[in-house]
Amino acid sequence: MTLTPEIIALLMLDALFLFFSFIAFVISVRIYLKWDSSSFSPLQYGLEKQSYLVGVVIKYIFFLKLPLFLFYVYTCDKLSNIITGAMCASGVVNSVDFGLYLMVFKILNLYLFGFWLLLHQVDLKDEKQSFTKLKFLLFAIFFIFLLSEIILEVSFFASLNISKIVSCCGTLFSATSSSYISLLFKIDSAVLVGLFYGCFVLMVVAYFLKNSPIFIVSNGLFLFFSIASLIIFFSTYVYELPTHNCPFCLLQKEYYGVGYVMYISLFMGTFYGFCGGVLQRVSQIVMPHYALISIVSNTFYVAIVSLYPIVYRLHNGVWL
Amino acid sequence: MKSKINIFLMEYAINSLLRRGGKNIFILLIFTLLVFLLSSALFISESIKLELNSVVKQLPQITLQRFQAGRQVDVPTSRVDKLILIEGIQSVVPRVWGYYYFKVAGVNFSVVGVDAFEEQYTKQLQDIIDKTDISVFKQDNSMLVGSGVRRVLDENYYKDFFNFVTHDGKWKRLNIAGVFNSDVSLEANDMILISKKSAYEIFGMDKTMATDIVVKVSNPTEIPMIVSKINELYPDMRTITQDDIRVSYQNIFDYKSGFFLALFVVCAFTFFIIIYDKASGLSSEEKKEIGILKAVGWRMDDIIKEKFYESFILSFCAFLLGLVLALFFVYGLQAPLLRDVFIGYSQLKPPFNLPFNVDFAHMILLFLLSVPVYIASTIIPSWKASTLDADEVMR
Amino acid sequence: MIKLEKVTKVFAQGQNEVVALKDISLHVRGGEFVVLKGASGSGKSTILSLIAGLSKPTCGEILVDGKSISKLFDNFSAMFRRENIGFIFQKYNLIPTLSVKENIIVPLIPSNPDPKEIQIRACEVMEKFSIASKADMLVKNLSGGEQQRVAIARALINNPRIIIADEPTANLDSKLSLELIEILKKLKAENRTILVATHDPLFFELDCVDCVIEVKNGEILK
Repeated sequence: MTLTPEIIALLMLDALFLFFSFIAFVISVRIYLKWDSSSFSPLQYGLEKQSYLVGVVIKYIFFLKLPLFLFYVYTCDKLSNIITGAMCASGVVNSVDFGLYLMVFKILNLYLFGFWLLLHQVDLKDEKQSFTKLKFLLFAIFFIFLLSEIILEVSFFASLNISKIVSCCGTLFSATSSSYISLLFKIDSAVLVGLFYGCFVLMVVAYFLKNSPIFIVSNGLFLFFSIASLIIFFSTYVYELPTHNCPFCLLQKEYYGVGYVMYISLFMGTFYGFCGGVLQRVSQIVMPHYALISIVSNTFYVAIVSLYPIVYRLHNGVWL
Repeated sequence: MKSKINIFLMEYAINSLLRRGGKNIFILLIFTLLVFLLSSALFISESIKLELNSVVKQLPQITLQRFQAGRQVDVPTSRVDKLILIEGIQSVVPRVWGYYYFKVAGVNFSVVGVDAFEEQYTKQLQDIIDKTDISVFKQDNSMLVGSGVRRVLDENYYKDFFNFVTHDGKWKRLNIAGVFNSDVSLEANDMILISKKSAYEIFGMDKTMATDIVVKVSNPTEIPMIVSKINELYPDMRTITQDDIRVSYQNIFDYKSGFFLALFVVCAFTFFIIIYDKASGLSSEEKKEIGILKAVGWRMDDIIKEKFYESFILSFCAFLLGLVLALFFVYGLQAPLLRDVFIGYSQLKPPFNLPFNVDFAHMILLFLLSVPVYIASTIIPSWKASTLDADEVMR
Repeated sequence: MIKLEKVTKVFAQGQNEVVALKDISLHVRGGEFVVLKGASGSGKSTILSLIAGLSKPTCGEILVDGKSISKLFDNFSAMFRRENIGFIFQKYNLIPTLSVKENIIVPLIPSNPDPKEIQIRACEVMEKFSIASKADMLVKNLSGGEQQRVAIARALINNPRIIIADEPTANLDSKLSLELIEILKKLKAENRTILVATHDPLFFELDCVDCVIEVKNGEILK
């Protein structure tokens, strides 16, 4: 275990999250079991008050988790200086078997908590607060995800071993790797890129037809194929190196941190597309601005990643 | 997710902070102090890290030490000729050096034997030699000293010479022929350069031996390969590469600042329990105010938001204040007292300056360590305040 | 317009339960001036806070314009208060370190309106109660009468239809009390509904008062 100041900061905030989310979890379960909006009992009155606490706690956790996610990636990047063999965050993330799952959990939890806050907002605007039970049931479930993330994170930092030699991104994101990622390399990159643009077109069509189920599904698929095609195809153009397929090096200074812009627009676009869409279906309230934010961010993402190969082609006259 | 900043609410929050000035100034002071301590610790350890890293860059690419029965012993100089035959090695230099303990001042000097006609194993050393008249080392009674050494000697009335006590108890008098400064102060400060012959004499070493051997490699990426070849040739020699040293330095300082931080976390939590306590105990004045606000149509959310603004403004001000104070303390005043915690051997080493090494990421780190924790401690009290029944206040 | 139907309110005080209101029913029409009279602790303040949605009845129902106040969640009851009710307290209950204008706009803050709009509305009410010249003075430096007018201006900034006053003259001398009554008369003339809880006999004989209701031990005496 290495205790760098960054790790201590992350662990300390994890402890705070654990404490507050546990309180929120207990309240959520109680509200789910005992909520009765027609009752005038002191119990119901107390639960109403407590429901606000849960809202505040989740807001607190979510709005800290957003910058913390970036901070976590940054910490991994910094740790790659200490850990032998790691050139960027990916080596550190993968130095432990479950490093990648931790990453997935972190992203997933941002989506879940963000969705919860959207639902919370809709619920508070509703005079009957008809989603309260659903909301707190969801949180009770999300708590388990948060808990898993925190457990994974603590054991991740606990099992980081600086004397162990890890692989750099060059070997992790290649066809020879033994992980699931290598499976991606078995697919032709043209197919993946085609699927990526296909999803985007589908999404745009669904947006103009106002077909929300297709919009939701296409957003979900778009997220998956975006990341896959970014690793397989687009990243090589950012690095201008056909063998460099890393989704983390994008974040480094050498590439002007373009990765941050890419990921933020991609996550924001798919978040509003997917979660906003689901929320519309759940609440039966039309919220056109979510779809608009989604389509704008996603288009922005597509524009950035597409620009790299195009500029390369114009500049050098060949494809990589 | 639309959350425009409400300027009027902000104004109200600031006013509310000022209204309870006494209590808030107390919190502000304590919190500033905590942030100050924390930032100072981080800045000191970061600048020592930077200092050491630049020292490491000066270090030889590979250092070879010989071990016998688990202890380091001198290396026969005859090995130099065999090592130079390994492909990829550019140069091999035997070193004669050691520590000399100056009892009167209680200080350790690093004494390095130099042969002016050899290629020096670091650029820095080469620079010093190039600037000096080589004849200094031809005469066996001269030496060059680092600025830190010069100061210590001055304080003990050795103005232009110094008497070394050799291994067999005799005095060896060397004249101070020159003083060198170095941008990398930590290493060069305590250094004394003397001729190899004098070094053998003072340390009482066999002239066919060297303290260790340093190896220069033409292509740094070949270092692991060359290391394995050396290990094959001389199994009793330990190879230390630049990278090994860098990692171990980084670890030591991460560990030290980590330890400090762990202590800080304990202090901080104690402080936040006090905050929690203070914030939960609402005066009748405050209760009444919340009652009024609710009566005129504020929601619970509005009251919580107002309290959030209050705690954010307070903690952010304290954060900035602590940060500025720490910057001044560490880089302006060179962190008296506190730096000793980090430089464990400071009593034995002459002093040096802390180089400036702060970037944006450090600010974020400090922010994350302080402000969110403070806000967290006010979450439950402000929620409790917002749930107060207004009608009880009215009576 | 305001209807209380079989409302009971029980407070928990430690282990004991205190019955503040016992099964009361009440009806106030729009534009009426109603005085609730009774000794302190009789339950008249509780009736006011129930009508304002500040607390919820233990059982029974409260309707304002046919809308049930008692079932609203905090968000909506606060919104209801903000839009419909102006409060006048005893001792003015102003925030001493804020200026006149800052005090008056407190009810507007949560809705985060445009600063221009705030400006217009604040000026309007300050003109009306002739305190515009003191807009930037701290309220603690004002005279009693001026403070009272600030408190009323604050109650009126959202242009509420219902004015609720709880012991408004408890801390006023007779001159200021009369001034207050003059203002209340004006407000009634603007067709606002006015509810006053007081034990000040000054109110019982006024022409403009439509109805005096006596409350005793949580019950209404006819």
